[in-house]
Amino acid sequence: MLKKRTTTLAGVVAALALALAACGGGSDGGGGDAGAGAGTLTLGAVFPPATYAAANAEWANVSPYMQAVYDTLLHATPDAKIEPWLATSWSYNADKTVLTMKLRTDVTFTDGTPFTADVAAQNLTRFAAGTSPNKSFLTSMKGAKAVDPATLQITLNQPDPSLLNYLTQNAGLQESPKAFTAPDVKTKPVGSGPYILDTAKTVVGSKYTYTKNPNYWAKEQQHYANLVINVYGNISTQVNALKGGQVSGLSLFDNSANDQLKASGLQLVPHELDWHGLILFDREGKMSPALGNVKVRQAINYAIDRDAMLKAVAKGNGTITGQLFPKSSPGFDAALDNAYPYDPAKAKQLLSEAGFGSGLTINMPIILISGTTVYDLIKQYLGDVGITVNYTQVPLNDAIAAVLAPKFPMAWFQLQQDPTAWQIANFTMTKNATFNPFKVDDPKIAAFAKTIQSGSDAEAATAAKDLNRYVVEQAWFAPWYRVSLNFAADKKTNVVQQTDNAYPYLWNITPKG
Amino acid sequence: MLRFVLRRVASGVVLVAVLSTVTFFLLYFSSGNIARRILGQQATEATVQQKQHELGLDRPLPAQFGDWLSHALRGDLGDSWFTGQKVVEAITSRLSVTLTLVIGATLITAVVGVVLGIIAATRGGAVDRGVQVLSVLGFAIPGFLVALGLVSLFAINTHVFKPTGYVAFGDSPTEWLSSITLPVVALAIASIAGVAAQIRGSVIDALRQDYVRTLRSRGLSETRVVYKHVLRNAAGPALSVLAVQFVGLLGGAVIVEQIFAIPGLGQVILGATSQGDVPLVMGLVIATAVIVVVLNLAVDLLQGWLNPKVRVGS
Repeated sequence: MLKKRTTTLAGVVAALALALAACGGGSDGGGGDAGAGAGTLTLGAVFPPATYAAANAEWANVSPYMQAVYDTLLHATPDAKIEPWLATSWSYNADKTVLTMKLRTDVTFTDGTPFTADVAAQNLTRFAAGTSPNKSFLTSMKGAKAVDPATLQITLNQPDPSLLNYLTQNAGLQESPKAFTAPDVKTKPVGSGPYILDTAKTVVGSKYTYTKNPNYWAKEQQHYANLVINVYGNISTQVNALKGGQVSGLSLFDNSANDQLKASGLQLVPHELDWHGLILFDREGKMSPALGNVKVRQAINYAIDRDAMLKAVAKGNGTITGQLFPKSSPGFDAALDNAYPYDPAKAKQLLSEAGFGSGLTINMPIILISGTTVYDLIKQYLGDVGITVNYTQVPLNDAIAAVLAPKFPMAWFQLQQDPTAWQIANFTMTKNATFNPFKVDDPKIAAFAKTIQSGSDAEAATAAKDLNRYVVEQAWFAPWYRVSLNFAADKKTNVVQQTDNAYPYLWNITPKG
Repeated sequence: MLRFVLRRVASGVVLVAVLSTVTFFLLYFSSGNIARRILGQQATEATVQQKQHELGLDRPLPAQFGDWLSHALRGDLGDSWFTGQKVVEAITSRLSVTLTLVIGATLITAVVGVVLGIIAATRGGAVDRGVQVLSVLGFAIPGFLVALGLVSLFAINTHVFKPTGYVAFGDSPTEWLSSITLPVVALAIASIAGVAAQIRGSVIDALRQDYVRTLRSRGLSETRVVYKHVLRNAAGPALSVLAVQFVGLLGGAVIVEQIFAIPGLGQVILGATSQGDVPLVMGLVIATAVIVVVLNLAVDLLQGWLNPKVRVGS
């Protein structure tokens, strides 16, 4: 009798399981269907936006959230050329310290407020005073004002060749003035963009749902009726969502799942944004006297086999490079990619010329971004030429702070290849550059930077090439390769990558066919 | 009874207070430069300083704690430093999702654990050994491996359930079921072992008792003997095990929510802690402590109902 009861119970459980299976929903058809302005696009992102307040906005991996609800003053083409957007035309004065921009007059925010030059001026001023990680984009701005409702004037305290680029990104975001002081602006944006955030269906930090803005002034850029951006925090979840048809496109965390994604019929759109390699911070030898000698830094460059690094660390996903400038930059010089071929003998020779023939010791941090292979290899290659590396573990969350303190004379790192030479110079090379923590002031670099800033386009291009060559000769860095990451998309979606950003721009993600 | 409940609530409040203080100071000592982490590597040093000032991180630690406490006592847990959302809102919107998973997993654990335990105890022999092996396997295999395996088998290769995401019951009951089934199963598999083993032991013991022989001699069916009488006696210890499992499931939910991208408490807790999102972590710690206190109180009252001998109060 007990047997009968148990069998019956088992039967019930089995029936329940079948019932569950029958009403299982399967995929929710998360791709984009139908033609322009119809269907739902579901994207994946690796982070949620820290804030929707335009004055404090980030960019890079959270650019799609911003582009969904806000317009920027200017747009950038996929290869980072400047195009009109809210600003229809612009011109500098003779010494490039005043930028005058003509603005559209037919744009309204979703709360009914019209977009005017005064609104634009306020947004710029607020960004410059805010807490965006890119607040320094507007350091050269002295002030912004409306000459008339359709003309904006930005005055600079020095020329800034990258300003127009910044206005295509978070520095150019336009938020409705009524939202400036709204208590919930961090999670409820009010913009003029192609979509409107549906706060009822949004779970902050996990899933952001948007519907078409019916009054959008650029309807040809509204490719879908609805947009969903989900946050996927690790590669396994990303792969599962892609294979399960729940998302149309996302930027993959790493290259570990490329093969299985391709086998599942997904397209991988590659992108090279960052360079990997060593940054030899201590060029004046304050912490490590040896690094103050250019021959030692050059020896470090010769000592490492970049092809082997690319294969072992990035599994071949990338392109060898010897410079910080991307191919699209006027400062790029193909010859520099082979300035330091792998030559341990030459490295040893340089070291003994510098007086370190008996060897030397250098301290480096271990920051576990993607495993320990790279550190083992660095130790091995440098050890082969007589340089002993002493490692100190640094928790990932403190990596940047530790490196910029500065706590180490050199480190393995990855940095973005910025589209303009001015950005590269000011981020990594000039005296107050963020990634020049020892504040090394090289007069030649300062001079090149000045020409890049104030010279004509031709002079600036030449100066960029000269700066590039000089920095490579002086071996301030030891770049190895540009790493390639992929944006995975389903068959129904077309994606064009953005040269100067980690995530494709929203309007370049379109339904196929 | 009422005095018992009130005493428990009072000690619960003390527990939450102690936990909050300890967590606050622990977070600060392990967090490093939070402002830099919020802003990333592109930000200049000046921006980092400004952010530190904005968050009050440049003030002495006791002052910061006092500030948080005075707001918390008024019900204002502040805003998350990394998403800008009100902490109270973040927790209440996510709490129901996590509780759905954890309660679902507990229910499945209870039902399956009881059934397996009873089968093992009453059948004995090969069946008993089989159930024990299965239990140990379920206990030993890491939760995330089970989760990934389930997704691969049931969500991707066969499209039966959803591989990621969560649909609220209000939006669509069938989609809700399809989105929570795999996560709940993944969570439950490990804890079934504990409950099954406990039930098996208790039932074996109870079956040896004299009253069982008496009941059988009076003509009661075996099923009634086991499910109505023996189970009630064996349930007490099993309930305690279940209560402990529930708390463990809260921890397991962290991994499961990450893998299935489910917007519950677990999805934010890892990131918030490692990044040093102090307001959010404080809110999460308080929420978890309250859940555990309420649960333990409920279990004690339930034990009293099951077994009058351990009833609390008068």
